[in-house]
Amino acid sequence: MTAETSKEVWVYIEQEEKAIHPVSFELLGVAKRLAQDLEGITAGVLLGHEVSDLTSEIFAYGADKVYIVSHPALAYYRHRAYAKALYEVAKRYKPEILLLPATPLGRDLAGGVATLLETGLTADVTELSIDKATKNLLMTRPAYGGNIMATIICPDHRPQMASVRPRIFPMPERKEGRTGEIITVEVELSEEEVGVERIGFIPKEKTVKIELAEVIVAGGKGIGGKEGFAKLFELSKLLNGEVGASRLAVEAGWISYEHQVGQTGKTVRPKVYLAVGISGAIQHRAGMQNSDCIISINIDPKADIFKISDLGIVGDWKKIIPALIERIKKEKGLG
Amino acid sequence: MLNLLVSIKQVPDTTNIRINPETGTLIREGVPAVINPYDISALALACNLKKTYGGKITVITMGPPQARLALKEAIEYFADRIILLTDRRFAGADTLATSYTLAEAIKFLEKTDRPFDLYLFGKQAIDGDTAQVGPGVAARLNVPVITYTIKIEELDLEKRKIVVQRKTERGIEILSARLPVLLTCEKEAGHPVFSPLSAILQAQKAEPEVFGADGRIPYDLNRLGLKGSPTRVHRVYTPEIKKQGKMINLDEVGVEAAVEEIIKLFKAKGVL
Amino acid sequence: MGKVKADFEYDVVIVGGGPAGLSAGIYLGRKGVKTLLIERGRFCGAKNLFGGVVYTESIKTLAPEFPNVEPFPCERQVTEEGYLILTERGYVKLTHSKEDRTHSFTAFRAKFDPFLADVAQRAGVDLAPKTKVVDFLKDDDGNISGVIVDRPKSFFDSSPASISAKVVILAEGVNRVLSQKAGLYSRDFQPEEVVLSVKEVLQLPKGELEKRLGLKEDEGLALEILGFITQGYPGLGFLYTNKNSISFGIGVFLSELAKNRVRPYELLERAKTHPFFQRLFEGAEVLEYGAHLIPEWGYKGFPKFYGNGVLVCGDAGGFVNPLFKEGTNLAIYSGLLAGETAFLALEKGDFSEKTLKVYEEKLKESYFYKDLALAKNMKDLFLRNKHIFSTYPELLYEAMSLFFSAQGKFKREVIKEIITLIKKKRGFLGVLKDFLSFARLFW
Repeated sequence: MTAETSKEVWVYIEQEEKAIHPVSFELLGVAKRLAQDLEGITAGVLLGHEVSDLTSEIFAYGADKVYIVSHPALAYYRHRAYAKALYEVAKRYKPEILLLPATPLGRDLAGGVATLLETGLTADVTELSIDKATKNLLMTRPAYGGNIMATIICPDHRPQMASVRPRIFPMPERKEGRTGEIITVEVELSEEEVGVERIGFIPKEKTVKIELAEVIVAGGKGIGGKEGFAKLFELSKLLNGEVGASRLAVEAGWISYEHQVGQTGKTVRPKVYLAVGISGAIQHRAGMQNSDCIISINIDPKADIFKISDLGIVGDWKKIIPALIERIKKEKGLG
Repeated sequence: MLNLLVSIKQVPDTTNIRINPETGTLIREGVPAVINPYDISALALACNLKKTYGGKITVITMGPPQARLALKEAIEYFADRIILLTDRRFAGADTLATSYTLAEAIKFLEKTDRPFDLYLFGKQAIDGDTAQVGPGVAARLNVPVITYTIKIEELDLEKRKIVVQRKTERGIEILSARLPVLLTCEKEAGHPVFSPLSAILQAQKAEPEVFGADGRIPYDLNRLGLKGSPTRVHRVYTPEIKKQGKMINLDEVGVEAAVEEIIKLFKAKGVL
Repeated sequence: MGKVKADFEYDVVIVGGGPAGLSAGIYLGRKGVKTLLIERGRFCGAKNLFGGVVYTESIKTLAPEFPNVEPFPCERQVTEEGYLILTERGYVKLTHSKEDRTHSFTAFRAKFDPFLADVAQRAGVDLAPKTKVVDFLKDDDGNISGVIVDRPKSFFDSSPASISAKVVILAEGVNRVLSQKAGLYSRDFQPEEVVLSVKEVLQLPKGELEKRLGLKEDEGLALEILGFITQGYPGLGFLYTNKNSISFGIGVFLSELAKNRVRPYELLERAKTHPFFQRLFEGAEVLEYGAHLIPEWGYKGFPKFYGNGVLVCGDAGGFVNPLFKEGTNLAIYSGLLAGETAFLALEKGDFSEKTLKVYEEKLKESYFYKDLALAKNMKDLFLRNKHIFSTYPELLYEAMSLFFSAQGKFKREVIKEIITLIKKKRGFLGVLKDFLSFARLFW
């Protein structure tokens, strides 16, 4: 297999402070599947300054190749520097497909790079596959609050670009010690053309990482207030999980926005999603329907959430959640 | 004097969006059109800047002829000049063709008037949610872009310098940039504007300057609209709904049995 | 306020952008009068989710080319109009096929009012939407000389903007707050003076509306509904066909709803379980719903129509004739008369009561004022005599049931049965009394 003949599926590896955003690995997983269908290979593109230590992680998650651009101007994310670097690498090595995470940084970068490459870009993709006949990439994204799915193609321009939502695709298996080819690319960058300089940073006080939780106990309008959410926090702690919330609960001020799941909040795919007092509007479902197992408790037997639940319990959560907490405590020998 | 450009989009009011339950398609009839909410922030930011620094606001949009209503409303945010890009040949544009159409028009305005100091965009449009057009236009204009702007901390016209707060996943970045720069705005960027009567009256009478692909702006026709769009909609469908699993009624089975059902699943999934 | 110059100067300020205010505006604009119309909603008609029937004749006074206008602001021509009398089990339907197919149209106000607003703007009227009048400007003698709005003067002066006007025309609608502030009403309206109307717009699968109502694509139906629909409470139901949907609603006197602790939506939901509507609305999706007050204070509750520098028209003046569903019609005509009067005053250069009194004289000559004077006791009759809403619909239905199952029976027996029924339900004397009191309304 030579570089000239094999098509390459690229993943932009998002790193900040020399830490790789886990969504990059999810994308390597899906890139691998696409590359197989194209009989090609998978590559990661890593931009930064003194980040070559990270390549082993990228190989471990399945990349066959890593393109790396190292430059002081890439020490932290700035649109112009990163866009130019990614553009230069893509222009020189002509990938068939370029996937970026649909994180704030990934989306910021994607729009600029696609324009420089004069190619098509599909935002916020949730499904990816290769058309058997044409070998085109089929990029599917939700439209209008998830009510409609639209499959987009980019038939005549390369690379085919997509930004992909985090937590949609599973994390691939990590194989320690896997290696591959490292290609170092030189790109000319100057502070002058970057034009922007970071002069300060206010970190978030406490970041809730519900995207990565394996168990999410989520509450909606039916919870009725902060006291109700306190019970959900108690339960989630016992399960080493996080607490999620519907938009209504967040807007009512019972819990902060960081916990919001859905179209306008986070997308999650935990092993277990326990929906308590959530009716399951389509906007909420869009953010959690890929969960492995959905259990819901709702007083209304007609609640939409039941339609996607593996287990639906019609009844008052105030009766069942305390009992569940006691039962788990007993299980763990705490009660 | 600040020279500001604001780019806006007219979108269907999504709080009113209805889906035909049989066909799964959008019911467009009777859905009012509004200015994209993030673009309202950009307009409000421009309005506040003009109040502080003086200057001129030009508002531009690409869209069907009825998008003129969005531009008229922009007058309520202290806009001085409103530009409508409308032409059948613009229709069906994806983000690449859209950024081309807008950028060429902006270049034209700069050539015939004077360069802008700031280009203000909404962070994304609520009908497409792509967040691609702002960075795309910046790339074409060859200016730096700062996305997810929440605040302008400092603006020094003499030193041609701006300090901006930007929201990221991990916190708030404070960035210093030289002008001109393109900002895409979060909701927080512009304080709400309660327009004065004078502006309300002006907005009613204002009509936009209309440009098409008729040659005044030197467009390459192959890069416009559907023709200039690399992406194609291949298929549209209603998402499959995951199959419903087991249903139990708490009043029928009792709390204990219901708890056992949950515990069983927790164990099967290995979370307990 | 002394002789401080107002921020904006107009000859006439109109408060309210419904059909009444817009009609006054169109008249004045065409006369070249510097006119400002102030509307609270995002645009004219925005505050009105619903509509009803509009009449070509009155619209032509504003837009002579109507109904040949593009885009057409109405839904369907009314080709069939009539009454539906309901009992719990059945119905009696009495409709009339209209020969003049351009006589009236069903319309959504959110579409119809912007059409009139466009006419007004083209006539030269300045429009200020999204703006609320909070108070009047007064001259040294305490006469109304303009208005103050909630909007600031400019981007640099946040104090409320003042607008001077020689005449202020109040077309503010049923809530009549400013009319009261201007001293034209001496008190708030009472619950028995307004009807609370709840409405829904229901959409049927394509083609079903025509199929179920026996209409062609360009034909429309307007029905008034009596009886079971209001559970016997004094009021009416109504049903209009729009282009792709049906407007369906019930109006009941607010006092009756309050007294009997009835929620209007319950009435609507209950009505939808009636076999007639169940069949009609099967598979329908509710697109919109809402409530609206209709002024029914009528002749007896009329305000003083004019004051120094001020006139009142439309709903705010109580110009609604419920029996003939003339709301927009009277709004348009009273608005036009207000416009005429303001113009007359401008010509004379006098804006005192002395001149503006002409408005009252003009009103008194109009057909609708006479109509309302004629029916001045109707509301009291309806509120007092509840048989109209319960006994008679049932009586009519049962009599018809007897009549239409009379085959195989000696017909004199059938007539006897019907007479017995009438005797039992209301008694001949009662019927006679009701008939006379109803007839007296018009004689």
